[in-house]
Amino acid sequence: MRERDSDRPMDIHYLLESVISGVLLGGIYALLSVGFGLTWGTMQVLNISHAVFAVLGAYLAYWSFVKGGIDPLLSIPAVAFLLFIIGGAAYRLVIRPVTKARDVLMGSMVATFGLTIVVENIMSGFWHPDPRLLKPSYTGTSLFIGEIVISKGPLIGFALAFVAIALLYLFLHRTFTGKAVQATWQNPMGAVLVGINRDRVSLITFALSIASAGVAGVGMGLIYSFYPSVQNDWTLYVFLLTIVGGVGSIIGTALTGLLIGLIIGVSAAFLPFIWVNILLFLLLLIILLFKPEGIFGV
Amino acid sequence: MENENQGKPKSSKAAFLILLSAILLLVAFPFFRPPLFFLSLLISIFLFISLTESWNLLGGYTGYISLGHVVFFSIGAYTTAVCMNCFGHSPFLTAILGGAVAGGVAAIVGFPVLRLKGAYFSISSLLLAVIAQLIFLNWEFVGGSVGLWYKLMPVGIEANRVIFYEVMLGLALIITFAVRYVEKSKFGAGLITIREDEEVAKTIGINTAMLKLKAFILGSFFAGVVGGVYGYYLSFIHPDITFNVNTSLLILLMAFFGGCTTWMGPLLGAVVLSLANQLIVTFIGAEISRVLYGLILILVIIFMPNGMIEYLKAGKRVRKVQQGWKHA
Repeated sequence: MRERDSDRPMDIHYLLESVISGVLLGGIYALLSVGFGLTWGTMQVLNISHAVFAVLGAYLAYWSFVKGGIDPLLSIPAVAFLLFIIGGAAYRLVIRPVTKARDVLMGSMVATFGLTIVVENIMSGFWHPDPRLLKPSYTGTSLFIGEIVISKGPLIGFALAFVAIALLYLFLHRTFTGKAVQATWQNPMGAVLVGINRDRVSLITFALSIASAGVAGVGMGLIYSFYPSVQNDWTLYVFLLTIVGGVGSIIGTALTGLLIGLIIGVSAAFLPFIWVNILLFLLLLIILLFKPEGIFGV
Repeated sequence: MENENQGKPKSSKAAFLILLSAILLLVAFPFFRPPLFFLSLLISIFLFISLTESWNLLGGYTGYISLGHVVFFSIGAYTTAVCMNCFGHSPFLTAILGGAVAGGVAAIVGFPVLRLKGAYFSISSLLLAVIAQLIFLNWEFVGGSVGLWYKLMPVGIEANRVIFYEVMLGLALIITFAVRYVEKSKFGAGLITIREDEEVAKTIGINTAMLKLKAFILGSFFAGVVGGVYGYYLSFIHPDITFNVNTSLLILLMAFFGGCTTWMGPLLGAVVLSLANQLIVTFIGAEISRVLYGLILILVIIFMPNGMIEYLKAGKRVRKVQQGWKHA
């Protein structure tokens, strides 16, 4: 590896810190990606606009914090609800007409590309493209465990992601509607035959996935500064997680998030940041080429 | 082509004359001393015609939608810039070399990537663009994040524009006719078969892997040549400019808008959308123009998924069939 680039002291604490922050980050990436995998698996819709709605969620939390003084963690239910509605509207206006096409995956990809441009530029028109960061009082501080320092922003974001993913999992496995979504995922034709309204299931799936993206956006906003075009970078991570993990299950995506986080953490300790990205995307390219169904794929 | 000529000689002769006079008019246009703005506008239209047509070789005919066309454009630009700065050769001469380098890279990259299908291919081509941009941003030899300058041509600004206008016009014409030639050839027929059904194409003995690779290399070669010249026109290149994702997006949009099944589609899409974009940016604002672009993309994919040309043709066909039914 390129050790000559790191003139920082290389001790075990440093490595541990790097790994922990990587894994915490990976958890939030996992929440950002589960919804994407859900729509891909259930509806065969490749939703490029997923990350742009995450940015929208971050902006909604930001403004309710700056203007109304509402803590981002408290505004999350409202953000999720709003994005659920927006997601439903986007499904009716953009996704449903496209799902009638011959190649749903390609058609939805191009249409949501258009949706991304629209939402991104509306955001940068309204709120200007300068970077912002969610800064409630607790994000600047750190937790000290022995000699290891963990900043609280990622920690809270990780907890948020954990709770949200757990709720999604419970919804899919314990409720009737959730089971209908799963059935459609496993066998669309069979699901229709046993009387599942596929259109309604698709609507709920899509709206839910957008809502989860919004929550993940709030989590990202606690760690990184965001601006409308940051969605390009987030989208790449969504691809990375979904394809490396395979369009399999929520648990698969969550595990992949942690795995990718681990890789980021370890390689960030040895490599300059820019090479970490190149390494990750090369990894994704290699997995695409040799195992396109992913590591946890079915 | 021969069949067409035999079928309706008069109309095709007239079409040929109209085409010839339109081309001559375009060639002569700068000598009427129009404002420089118009020359710049037309240069950017020629750029997008060239890029969209060259993209269409793979993206349109085979349906392998690449989001990494900017990579080859940028490789061309960087090749001519390095040749000029290190050896002093004019980019007009080394543009071919830029195209060759782009084609070579396409051959290496395309071999594994073209095995992927549909959305997987698109995502990996997007990843290629991202990786290439990151590499160029950190490669000191080609300027890294500082960018590269070309030496300016030792002529005035007007002569400069006129020269670039003629060269870009020439490139756009050559590429458009080359793509048209490919479309009518056996090679093009093979590509279109891949779009219709790749498995069937394989079973009837078409070497689909080879055809796709050839189309990819040829398209990348054209993009590289165009990039080499256009970089010189810009006189300053930077990874954030040349690798811009929005350029890939524009190419896709123009091809889809015009219709990527024929050579006319990208031409129409590039001209209409470049003009529309210029008007909206000038009179309303860049952000609104991009919002409109996104809306157009959504509407196009929903209401005319095969593009304007096919949409118009299909309308005609439906009317013919309807009339046929009435008579029968």
